[in-house]
Amino acid sequence: MGLIPDDAKSIPPPGIVNRNSMWLGTAGWLTAMLQNAINHRPPLRAGVHRQVLLATVGWFLGYHLTKYENYCYAKHDRDMHEYIRLHPEEFPEKEKKTFAEIVEPFYPVR
Amino acid sequence: MTFNWLLSSAALVSRVGSRSVFTSSKPDTANPNWVRVGLTFGSAAFLWGLLFKQHSADVHESNVRNGLE
Repeated sequence: MGLIPDDAKSIPPPGIVNRNSMWLGTAGWLTAMLQNAINHRPPLRAGVHRQVLLATVGWFLGYHLTKYENYCYAKHDRDMHEYIRLHPEEFPEKEKKTFAEIVEPFYPVR
Repeated sequence: MTFNWLLSSAALVSRVGSRSVFTSSKPDTANPNWVRVGLTFGSAAFLWGLLFKQHSADVHESNVRNGLE
């Protein structure tokens, strides 16, 4: 992984099918269709090789983007939990009240 | 004088100021450039292979690091 740190290998990788892949793959496909439209070619039937290549490039980039996104969120969670663990005085346990103790008596006005 | 001279000289060098869209032959849609088509499909297949290989390597590495394999 070039741009993703080594730490990211410890978390499970995203599936081949993931949201970013679908989005960027669709964007690549639409780019190919847009190019067809600009050049007055039938949008779906022309340049299938171009559609396939651009969709593939989008899917590939989406996979790595999802991997990086998962790493960022995992790092954030790890840092947050570590901070909570090291500063317990800032996170006191709140005493839990039941609803019966909070709720005021009900005096209907009809 | 120098500004005008610079501007007019730039037009000779710069390719952005004016475009010439006259090509000798129209794009031939009846005979596709099979080499380009083959290269495109080939590189798409290569990228898919790369993706699946990377994914399985990631899964294996993650399992090893978490002590599941």
